[in-house]
Amino acid sequence: MTSDLTRLLQAAIPPGAEWTGLRRVRSVSRSYSARDGRFDEAFSEEDSGFMVEVLSGGQFGYAATADGSPSGLREAGLRALTLARAAGPYAIHRFGAGQRPSWKVRWESPRAKSGSLGADILAEAAIAVSAAMRIDRRIVQTSASLETRDLEIELVSSSGASLAQVLHLAGHGRKATARSGDVVQARTGHGPRGELRQAGAEFLDLPALLEAAARTAREALELAEAEPCPAGKADLLLAPDQMALQLHESVGHPLELDRILGDERNFAGSTFVRPEDIGRLRYGSELMNVSFDPSLAGEAASFAFDDSGAPAERVLLVEKGLLVRALGGLESQARSGKPGAACQRADGWRRPPIDRMANLNLEPGESSMEEMVASIERGVLMEANRSWSIDDRREKFQFGCEYGRLIKDGRLCKVVRDPNYRGVSSSFWRSLFKVGDRSTFAAFGTPNCGKGEPNQLQFVGHASPACAFRGVEIFGGEA
Amino acid sequence: MRTMGDLESRFEGVAGALLGGLKTGEALSLEFAGEASAFMRFSGGRVRQTGEVEAAVVDFRLYAGGRTLRKAFSLPGNAMGDLAAAALALKEARGEAARLPPDPYQVLPAAAERSSEAYPGSLPDPEELPREILGPAEGLDFVGLHAQGRVARGAANSSGARHFFATENFSTDWSAWLPSGKAVKSVYAGRDWDGEEHARRIAASRPLLEGLSLPERRLEPGSYRAYLSPEALNALMVFFSWRGLSERELREGESSFLALREGRRSLSPKFTLVQDFSLGVEPRFNGLGETAPERLVLVDRGRLAASLVSARTARQYGLASNAAPEDESLRSPAVAPGGLPAAEALQALDTGLYVSNLHYANWSDFASARVTGMTRFACFWVEGGKIAAPIKDMRFDESLYELLGGGLLDLTAERSLVPSTGSYGLRDVGGRLLPGLLLGGLRLTL
Repeated sequence: MTSDLTRLLQAAIPPGAEWTGLRRVRSVSRSYSARDGRFDEAFSEEDSGFMVEVLSGGQFGYAATADGSPSGLREAGLRALTLARAAGPYAIHRFGAGQRPSWKVRWESPRAKSGSLGADILAEAAIAVSAAMRIDRRIVQTSASLETRDLEIELVSSSGASLAQVLHLAGHGRKATARSGDVVQARTGHGPRGELRQAGAEFLDLPALLEAAARTAREALELAEAEPCPAGKADLLLAPDQMALQLHESVGHPLELDRILGDERNFAGSTFVRPEDIGRLRYGSELMNVSFDPSLAGEAASFAFDDSGAPAERVLLVEKGLLVRALGGLESQARSGKPGAACQRADGWRRPPIDRMANLNLEPGESSMEEMVASIERGVLMEANRSWSIDDRREKFQFGCEYGRLIKDGRLCKVVRDPNYRGVSSSFWRSLFKVGDRSTFAAFGTPNCGKGEPNQLQFVGHASPACAFRGVEIFGGEA
Repeated sequence: MRTMGDLESRFEGVAGALLGGLKTGEALSLEFAGEASAFMRFSGGRVRQTGEVEAAVVDFRLYAGGRTLRKAFSLPGNAMGDLAAAALALKEARGEAARLPPDPYQVLPAAAERSSEAYPGSLPDPEELPREILGPAEGLDFVGLHAQGRVARGAANSSGARHFFATENFSTDWSAWLPSGKAVKSVYAGRDWDGEEHARRIAASRPLLEGLSLPERRLEPGSYRAYLSPEALNALMVFFSWRGLSERELREGESSFLALREGRRSLSPKFTLVQDFSLGVEPRFNGLGETAPERLVLVDRGRLAASLVSARTARQYGLASNAAPEDESLRSPAVAPGGLPAAEALQALDTGLYVSNLHYANWSDFASARVTGMTRFACFWVEGGKIAAPIKDMRFDESLYELLGGGLLDLTAERSLVPSTGSYGLRDVGGRLLPGLLLGGLRLTL
């Protein structure tokens, strides 16, 4: 796969460069959506191009182009060298070729069924799922979508790197909106586009989707007739689909080394974590174990190497509540002197790689769902994110969910609508008092995490068991 | 780097290839977006990343046999490659469309207007950017992104519409930081770079940083009288596009302004919102090649006057389209000014909160149009019309029916054009013309 790229690399290497890398990215995505049991949109997209990176005087420069001709890449290499040289006197750090290692790796997402599903099959499935949610006149709108993406990344370099990987992503989404009087409520499949994973054609299991669709519609109706979530301090039991968001915003982003180093302060924000906290900070209770795990088969952001060429491997970031490692690629590791992970990722050929989450997971504990519910005297179970906001230091958050159920005296009780909660990251994680066992563990993903200047959208995966937190400020819609 | 003429000829070439390749009974509409940009990212007053991007994307809809397929592809970047890519994409689209179910609300392109706008600028040499951008910030913890170059948008269809818009521009989006974590934020954007103006803006931030070095004031949760700058209001404008004034979302219960539509709630008589293309920062055409009215009043003195209606929604519900894009998002918005001179904003505030920027705003309750977010950058506590202390950032949670309704005391008489500096995929074009807001109460929660 990289043979012709190696030839093109020779054209891209500019005279005088200390190191040159050539990354080719090709992304082919398709999505099919339906509303109210009728076709809505079919969309397919192919995006492919090249990034030439050049190192000169300790500074990387880049040039991105879709022109894969030798002359186009030669011009790109020269521009990247010129920009690197111009910035050299102002460089934030003297990088070396060590930040672009020279591995040789081939990898592809495991699939049970290879080959792609036809447009007719996917469009008809979306129509069927959206139709299956129209179960009551109070359902005012339904929608469903199915999407696939094949992402090919190849990387070669003047120091001998030769890497190629193919990621097969697939996901489905559905939504039922119900209205009763002035109350309008929506229920989705684990949040907007939450059901993203790596898979082949086996991702389309229509009988299971239709069953899930009927449940989604029933729960939308329950919500439309439900009372608002009460306000006050209570214990909070979060389902894995909301834990995914909780992990993402209050663990993943705060632990990104480029935030810790200050690079993101002008846009996405910084973090309350300081470099000296790594190895010392009590991030959460002793039940908290968080991993960066790009090796979990089927999770959305599994891969073999990042876009700097570093080989990916599972590492623990938080161990028994102690922060032991941050999320930083080789450049941030060199600048900070701190250990990191293979997480320097670009969202395509037009952008340079930056520190990113991939699969960021909370390790399973020992409590069954029944044990967790039984341990709560007064609380709320919340499922599926619908609102998210956190400050630029990743401390003060407020999250809203689609679906809530009151817990009283160790038993699940009535459904409540508009459940929200707010808190401060560090004290919240220290209030973690139950971690669900593997029977409660589930993986989700999102395709659109925004970060970086210029901006980048990245897909990430988050797997977690259900978890319980003590004494959280909860409230409903009108609070 | 390529010229604006290069971008236009690429658009014309690929539009010609797609439209010229149609068979009898087929129709097509296409959008073009391209750029040739230089980016320099900086942190701590030093260069973090530097590079250039040349990219162009075509996103088209093929209408054939009652089926509709949308397809997008990146252009290889040379004339022969572009034409070959277009021919291949059309062939693939034709094959895929034939397998689709019928489109119940298919709208064939009918617009036939033509337009061409080009706004050349004067930009520094990319090789000079480190010195030009960072030189005046010597001694500051200076963080952000400078982006510059050519950006183009185009649209064409098989009914004869043909539009092209190109601009050569820059934006220097930066903040200067104190060790305490307090910062001053600024965006300098335009078409003609002026290094002296850039330096003047940085110099003006230095006294502000001194103000931010005063001891921090921690506020308790509660409701506070507040002034929101145009940049802070800008963070709230997304709510008119996202679950906002889309006719489709209003019809389907997805809009958070359902109560406004049904007359159960209203905004302040002082609040008027217009989609105003006379600002000249964003093209009027959409992906179907339709041209929107130059001015469309959406909220007229607190009442919903119009919604954003795409051709597809118009077809589905039997309405008239106002040439909204398919996602019915708000473009080129302008909020009408009020009567408060901006220079007197602090005196009018008297005692309360001065909010320069907001961060990470999101709906917190759709039915009541309640939104939450954080204060960010240079926000101050004001006493007797004078800045008393910077504040520790706080979370707010308040209904837009309060912020832009009963709680809206006045708007400034002067407005700022807040540029769009987003760059997901490609650099944005556009901006928003906004006043500052004087509020009777902003509810802080955490």
